[in-house]
Amino acid sequence: MNGFIKYMCILAGLALVVSQYFIWEYAPREATMGEIQRIFYFHLPFAWWAFVCFFLVFVASIGVLAGKGMFWDHLAGACGEVGVLFTTLNLISGAAWAKGAWNTWWTWDPRLSTALIMWFVYCAYLVLRSGSAGSLKMRRISAVVGIVAFLDVPLVFFSARLWRSIHPTVFASSGGGLAPEMWHTVVVSVCAWGVMTFVLLYLRTKQMRAMQRIRQM
Amino acid sequence: MNYLLLTNVAIWLGVSGYVLFLAAKQARLEKRIKHLEFLNDKQG
Repeated sequence: MNGFIKYMCILAGLALVVSQYFIWEYAPREATMGEIQRIFYFHLPFAWWAFVCFFLVFVASIGVLAGKGMFWDHLAGACGEVGVLFTTLNLISGAAWAKGAWNTWWTWDPRLSTALIMWFVYCAYLVLRSGSAGSLKMRRISAVVGIVAFLDVPLVFFSARLWRSIHPTVFASSGGGLAPEMWHTVVVSVCAWGVMTFVLLYLRTKQMRAMQRIRQM
Repeated sequence: MNYLLLTNVAIWLGVSGYVLFLAAKQARLEKRIKHLEFLNDKQG
């Protein structure tokens, strides 16, 4: 592990510790939902960083089809994995929040349904990738799937605005009805998970490159 | 409060699970590299 990524790992750890302080101590208790609302500070960063990861899968897949080299294939793979991890955690945290706030684990709301479809699509993408190591044809097929799969991402993002949804939209009204302390916590949490996302993507991409080199030897 | 705790446990289990997966892959990778270096030294 080189010096840069070592410092980034330490920074990610510290940022997550600071975000925990903001979530549990600094952010005020929400008046209507109470303590359960604190799930929001995990739920939102996971959703946003999963979207970023899936966008990177889309960009990297274009790079693969354009024949720009193996780096793009490794980046797409790493982003797919981290995106699926974050979407899984987003769905779990959303289900627990729904149980606390709406008294149900799941409802077939447009936002929830499109997010679940997105999760299935990217799981399928990872399954497809797992069998594509070394084969140019399979790498290209994975890249096409990586591009097509991204069609669902804007649908998830805009679903709560396009259709009648009980899922709140953070940017729907000015400030989303959040107190300034809550916004500070959102920013800190999003930044902390952003650093963590970068670290995970960097390590996994590098690892995939090393695995590819060994396979070629 | 129970749901909050449940979520917290699930999140940290998920993240640490992925980090452990990366660590295990890295350990296997380093073992393989050492083996290849050993074979290379033997041939050289």
